[in-house]
Amino acid sequence: MILLLLPSLSVAQGVDEILTPVAGEQLEEPDPGLDIPGAVTVLDRDNDAGDQLEVYFEPPADLEGILAYNIYRRAVSDEGNEDWSLVKIIPVIEPTEFIDGYDPEYPIEPGILYEYKVASTSITGEEFFGPVCRAEIVSQGEFYHTGKTRVLIAGALFIFLIFYYFGKAQRGFKMYLRPIAGIEAIDEAIGRATEMGKPVLYVPGLSTISDVATIASLTILSRVAKKIALYQTPLLVPNRDPIVYTVADEVVKQAYLEAGRPDAYDPDSVFFLTDSQFAFVAGVNGIMMREKPATNFYLGMFWAESLILAETGSLSGAIQIAGTDAVTQLPFFITTCDYTLIGEELYAASAYLGREPKQIGAVKGQDSCKAIIMVFITLALIFGIIDIVADTHILDWLRNIVTSPIID
Amino acid sequence: MLNIDRRWIFLAIGVVSIVPFLIGIGMPVSTTVEVENIFDYVNELGKDDAIFISFDYAPGTQAENTPMAIAVMRHALHNDVSVFLTANQPLGHGMAIGALHYVTDPAIPDFYESVSFEDWSALRDAGIVDKDELVSAWESEGNVLPEGCSGWIFEGRDYALLGYAPVFNLVILGMTNSIEAQYPQDAHGNSTGEMPMLRDHKSLREVDLALSCSGSGACVWWITYAREKIGMPVAFGVTAVMATDYYPYIQSGQIIGQMGGLRGAAEYEVLLYENGVTVTTGKAFTGMDVQSAAHLLIIFLIIMGNIAFFAGGFHKKTALKGRG
Amino acid sequence: MIVLVGGILMIVQYFIPHQYSQNIFNYYTEWAPIVGAFALILGVGSLTRVHSHKIRRKAKNWQFSWAVLIPLYGMPFFALIWPQSLWGGMEEPGIFDFVFMHIQVPIQATMFSLLAFYIASAAFRAFRAKSALATVLLLAAVIVMLGQVPIGEMLGRWLPETGLWILRYPNLAAKRAIMLGVGFGILATNLKIIFGVERNWLGGAGK
Repeated sequence: MILLLLPSLSVAQGVDEILTPVAGEQLEEPDPGLDIPGAVTVLDRDNDAGDQLEVYFEPPADLEGILAYNIYRRAVSDEGNEDWSLVKIIPVIEPTEFIDGYDPEYPIEPGILYEYKVASTSITGEEFFGPVCRAEIVSQGEFYHTGKTRVLIAGALFIFLIFYYFGKAQRGFKMYLRPIAGIEAIDEAIGRATEMGKPVLYVPGLSTISDVATIASLTILSRVAKKIALYQTPLLVPNRDPIVYTVADEVVKQAYLEAGRPDAYDPDSVFFLTDSQFAFVAGVNGIMMREKPATNFYLGMFWAESLILAETGSLSGAIQIAGTDAVTQLPFFITTCDYTLIGEELYAASAYLGREPKQIGAVKGQDSCKAIIMVFITLALIFGIIDIVADTHILDWLRNIVTSPIID
Repeated sequence: MLNIDRRWIFLAIGVVSIVPFLIGIGMPVSTTVEVENIFDYVNELGKDDAIFISFDYAPGTQAENTPMAIAVMRHALHNDVSVFLTANQPLGHGMAIGALHYVTDPAIPDFYESVSFEDWSALRDAGIVDKDELVSAWESEGNVLPEGCSGWIFEGRDYALLGYAPVFNLVILGMTNSIEAQYPQDAHGNSTGEMPMLRDHKSLREVDLALSCSGSGACVWWITYAREKIGMPVAFGVTAVMATDYYPYIQSGQIIGQMGGLRGAAEYEVLLYENGVTVTTGKAFTGMDVQSAAHLLIIFLIIMGNIAFFAGGFHKKTALKGRG
Repeated sequence: MIVLVGGILMIVQYFIPHQYSQNIFNYYTEWAPIVGAFALILGVGSLTRVHSHKIRRKAKNWQFSWAVLIPLYGMPFFALIWPQSLWGGMEEPGIFDFVFMHIQVPIQATMFSLLAFYIASAAFRAFRAKSALATVLLLAAVIVMLGQVPIGEMLGRWLPETGLWILRYPNLAAKRAIMLGVGFGILATNLKIIFGVERNWLGGAGK
């Protein structure tokens, strides 16, 4: 009786959830040369799906001869107890605590009661068990992740700002967008192709539909295709991604419909080429050298192939308009293309072309979000200098507010 | 001079690329802290640890990315660290196979002798999975290490070719819970559940490092889905043109280090050589001579272009047009 | 409506760790690869249609369309239906491996190596010190280029050190600023898509 009570006494000091040794379970007689671990404490882990438990146990007083601790667990239910499973081995030099549920072979189920027992293991593999302890709590999932509060606040703030400017623009508030040379040149570029009787080549980037640059590019494609439909200029849209191809096809078809020229739409003008990066570039280069388009658009996400594309287009004598948020490729486009949309100008292009209030409002919302970040960066710079001069830790305080640690 | 035919420039680049490669000058390469951090980290790992090497690149960038992957793979195998080989695209899978063949090619110094998963099944069934015991048992069966070989590597214990799986960002996310759930079989059809390295490292939480060798932005997936979710250490091996993009991640501590381009691979090869892991440097070190010559030529062309531009008075014409 | 509901659901799901929320996410992660796989069929169908039209009509350079279609269907054939090696049997390498390692890999590496030639040509043609800022850019480029190669170190230790300083400080600051800007652009564009402000990407379905 005294032996069974000892684990309860030892964990009663300041621990919220305790384990109760199970009556009737016999303890192993300890080898005089190997001490046994103490009671096991189990807490429900916060901010999880009910599939993790925090497990602590008291290390033995004497660690002599102990190589590691073997932690066993079993589920307890009215229908009967399961067999014990070895869920964790902790070397003796490591802390006597772990998160149970990480091992995919031994998952924790929400709402299930578990028992634990910990054994000191000798170098020969002999196990000397501590008390069997049953958790008084079961694992439960939470409906809100408290560790993501900073993300929620920041996200809510930024979303609010964007919607605020949406509303402001819709109420008729005039907002200024600076001219973007590349976008203003689109009409001129299409007109040039029409005069020369040559096609327009539009490359919507090499990324997938989940990439925002691709979506921005397809938005511009819609407007470009509408103009092309009116001028009856041939259009070529090679695609690297099959999903982007299907969307681009629909976008161009719809553009021709809206322009009142559905008969002029050529289904072969939008096509899938290959999903291999450099094979795609080789294919587009071949199209450029054979078809000799008068205007090339490179709008979307590009990688190392950007210079090959743009240089070949330059060799073919076409006017070239590029736009990407891939910063590393911008220098290549700037040197070889006539106009380049840099970074966010690609995203702002759809607002600029359509001049719809909500689109312009979104651009303003982005700018206001950036202004907030600029304030934080300025504060961090000032606090960093103060910390150096006055030996304070104000910057750490700001860092704790803005950043969040690893949360899973 | 400004209207010089491009083909002369192409010829010059061709010559300066080929000649240093044939001559083999061997200029010394100093190392940077970004690469040393990766080396030091892998150097601390041992036979109970595991790393992922993700071949997130296509054959186009293999000249820069493959030497990086091979250098780190050699380092890990030298320390008996288990290596998982994955790819985010089908072509990357081919690159992983090529790298494995390179590391096990007897014609190349510092090669390893590979033992397939099936060949050592008897020892595995007998419960022999510790590396030292495995090598002793394998050699006691009459298997002799070839001359010049750096050691035995056992499939399923030292390396596993997991290969390509679609929508790789979600695969990484899934591997934070269970690697076997994402890859029930490896690329050779072996059951991953029977592999000792999978039993010891069941999820990415138990893996010590992910090295993403990438020619595109796919390396950032490892930060988003592994590093930020479970705190897994991540390192990058990217092309030189992309390397500048990821310095913010180094400074913020989200990646432990970065190998940038051929230079980064050459630095790692030098570190391996200087620390006695390999007996020679590799292709990246040889390529640095070519890169030196090519960079000098490009700088020369820039200078000549500017001289011709200013000497011809074009800068004045440009100013007059208001397009300065 | 699908995008609206799906987008809001996934935003909300991020903040809910409960098992019900995880089940929704797992459901999505199981479906995403399936949708992607079917999209590939559409892409292959498009490529086949375009080139078979060209062959049928004997359009200009129609012979090259065979060069597209034969490997397009040949490689899966050698991978799945006839995976033997060139010498028969199942010893490696199979024909698929041989074609991949000895044709596709060198071709792709060759395409990438074109960059070296094009960069040299672009450098000669376009890198001009037209203004003060352009001159600063040129100098920084020269220092970084020389600092990256062993010959720069031989010219002087200050070259690689200055080059690394440029990469670790001014470059880092600029890249971080651009990342932030692009990040907010992504946020705004995604909100526009989710809430239906941006519908051009839907094509006909957006009207």
